[in-house]
Amino acid sequence: MRLVLSDVPLPATLPQREENRYIDLTQRRIAQCMGCFGCWVKTPGKCVIRDDATEIYPLIAQSDRLLYVSRVRYGGYDVPLKTMLERAIPVQKAFLRVHEGETHHVQRRVADKDAVILAYGCPTQAEQAVFERLIARNAKNMAFRSWRVRFVEEAALAGAIEEEVRAWEAC
Amino acid sequence: MGSLLIVNGSPRAPRSNSRQYAALLRDRWDGLVEEYAVTDNRHAEIGARLGEFDELALVFPLYADALPAALLRFLVALEGAHGGKRPRVHAIVNCGFLEPMQNHVAVEMLRLFCAQQGFEFGMALCIGAGEAILTTPFSFLVRRKIKAFAREIRAGRSERLEVTMPLSPAAFVGASRKYWLRYGAKNGLEPQQMDTDEIEGS
Repeated sequence: MRLVLSDVPLPATLPQREENRYIDLTQRRIAQCMGCFGCWVKTPGKCVIRDDATEIYPLIAQSDRLLYVSRVRYGGYDVPLKTMLERAIPVQKAFLRVHEGETHHVQRRVADKDAVILAYGCPTQAEQAVFERLIARNAKNMAFRSWRVRFVEEAALAGAIEEEVRAWEAC
Repeated sequence: MGSLLIVNGSPRAPRSNSRQYAALLRDRWDGLVEEYAVTDNRHAEIGARLGEFDELALVFPLYADALPAALLRFLVALEGAHGGKRPRVHAIVNCGFLEPMQNHVAVEMLRLFCAQQGFEFGMALCIGAGEAILTTPFSFLVRRKIKAFAREIRAGRSERLEVTMPLSPAAFVGASRKYWLRYGAKNGLEPQQMDTDEIEGS
């Protein structure tokens, strides 16, 4: 499966494929994680908040190609995508493992991913550097076997999204 | 001794480990202290009162390798909401992993927030094994570091302190498994249920 998760509306011209899923977070109802650990110690693999996130995190788990589109806020994801990623912790177990010399959560049935992050609203090199460090951390915790950050102007986003999705066609 | 505002940035503020770390900091502060939890959703009011404080300590857990969205919302609300005098900003960030360095990106994010919004960044304390350390014989290590953290704030320093359990990664993984199994057992869960690979039942 291939997944696009975006905090901006997506171009209508993206190719319609059975294996492609396009999620516009601005059109979804996703509450903030309560930090209750219910998805680990009460209903393992399921969030206790039953909103649109429960449809999205299984798609994140199944995807082997991932495109995240997000404004950058203080060198990290802005609120919409960050809120969704926090709601995706049911894809992990409470238990830890040693991975690349560090402790990290054990994944449930999560596909390894080639991830591209389209980041906008991030004009300075200092902020870009922190964002890239964040994605390098995500790679260890979110099963990215490869990752690439592409910084773009907001005005160029639609074209960049289209380019990245069309590049999947060649794979 | 100056005045200190402690902001609990955990989405489960009333029941959080951050609340306990905040309480330890409060105990080590001799001046005026006020606490605010981001779950109280009075961001604009707190933003308007920031100038009343000399120091602002953000106490929060690491979520998905970064600042929790709940804290992010608070910081966004502060943009433009504060005028005049600005407190120095400090951070106590805890993660459930053994390595305090996993918190470093969150600290760098706060430095960026400060640079962009005209605040001075001061002290950071990165806590590893933060979910459980206060319930272990190693809790004294955290108490000692929070004492040092408060002292360095008073001295006007800007440094990054770190603390964790003195265990090997393998030993920590084993200990944390027991911790989580006990947690699940309280809800009637068997180990194999917690260990399921299923997500949303499939």
